[in-house]
Amino acid sequence: MSTPAPHVVPLFATPFGVVSLPEAEALNPALAALFAERATAQWRDPLAAPGALTFRSRADLLDWPEEPVRQAIRAILAGVGSVAASINDLAAEQLAALRVQARAWFTIVRPDGCVPPASYPNTSWLAVYCVTAPALSKTRFDSGVLRMHESRPGPMFQDATHSGIRVPYRPGHYAWRPVPGQLAVFPAAITHEIAMLRAAGALVIVTARVRFVASDLAWMPPW
Amino acid sequence: MVSAAVTLSPIFAVPLGEARLAPCERLNRELEALFLARETDEHRNPMPSHIPQEEMFESRFNLFRWPEPCVQELRKFMLDSVAQTVLQASTLSAEDFARLKFHNHTWFHVTRHAGSFVSHHHPMASWSAVYCVRVGEVPADQPGSGLLRLFDPRPGANAYLDPGNANLHAAFALRSLDLRLGEGQIIVFPSYLFHEVTPFYGRDTRITVATNCWFA
Repeated sequence: MSTPAPHVVPLFATPFGVVSLPEAEALNPALAALFAERATAQWRDPLAAPGALTFRSRADLLDWPEEPVRQAIRAILAGVGSVAASINDLAAEQLAALRVQARAWFTIVRPDGCVPPASYPNTSWLAVYCVTAPALSKTRFDSGVLRMHESRPGPMFQDATHSGIRVPYRPGHYAWRPVPGQLAVFPAAITHEIAMLRAAGALVIVTARVRFVASDLAWMPPW
Repeated sequence: MVSAAVTLSPIFAVPLGEARLAPCERLNRELEALFLARETDEHRNPMPSHIPQEEMFESRFNLFRWPEPCVQELRKFMLDSVAQTVLQASTLSAEDFARLKFHNHTWFHVTRHAGSFVSHHHPMASWSAVYCVRVGEVPADQPGSGLLRLFDPRPGANAYLDPGNANLHAAFALRSLDLRLGEGQIIVFPSYLFHEVTPFYGRDTRITVATNCWFA
């Protein structure tokens, strides 16, 4: 008896997009220098967790006049738009008519630092752009990864077939290693974190909360 | 506004049991000495389910089979606490419960500077519990060090927030729950609940015992 070939499709899938920014090579050194200079109390997010190992700026990068920041923000928002468009039935003209609302900040994660788990309300997309990343740790493969927490209410019953299930069906968290010049885009409701950095050097990222507004009349909750 | 008599009830609630062993100082010092002495490859979990870290030692899951009196004393307290939680949270009678076979996997963790444990849950178990042997130092500039964080099991529920749901009472709050266990304190929770240990930044050790329980 022959075994019929199954047709398996992902249901209830979470979109996760990666975009390479062509401007990165020129932008990143300027961004890194500017962020290093402004990693001070004056620029720190007053609500950020204290501690010297991780610095999070205020979420006002969209207001910064410096050209590298403006250019990076434009590229990040364009990347978010392209990810949203790639999985959307709205026509290009309809998408182009939407107004983008965003907030962005930079984060510097130093050795033994991390970004605790978080998700963002009243936001549709989260973008994480990598400015600089330290060399890979030879012993800690999860050093500094962007870890998205499992969001499916998975069954508590498991049998032996579960241990080998492949992505995107594998139960559990998903990790993405930040690469300078790359932008990760995913739903902002997904709890995510930057795992503890176990390498020399610093991980520098820009994070943006993004949502799209259909018209000036459409109501959006404050954020 | 018309005043209506509303009865408010928690539904889909997560049961959380809490108990304290008192006094616990002698027992905890004996456990600490025993665990530190057995922080060796012989007793290390050979098949960790998560990424091993040199900053956190995880023992084999057979701790409650150790014959040492301090371990057996802890076993009684921890499993009694689980049993009491199950009885309070369920419709099982004490007689029905007594007829069940009570299984457990139990292990200890010794965490040092910058050790943590990633968010996880425990399939194939119904109840989990964590007992604190040693809190460890909490540096003034790292108030979130070494917390046990229980994640809200309603993914997406907090994706829309406005003033009407952003300040709910604790039982209904749309956020994770951070717990700093005290020495001698145990908490018991359903094994489906994702939880993590935040990075520990003390200069000493944080020591806990965890158990997963199932019944047949």
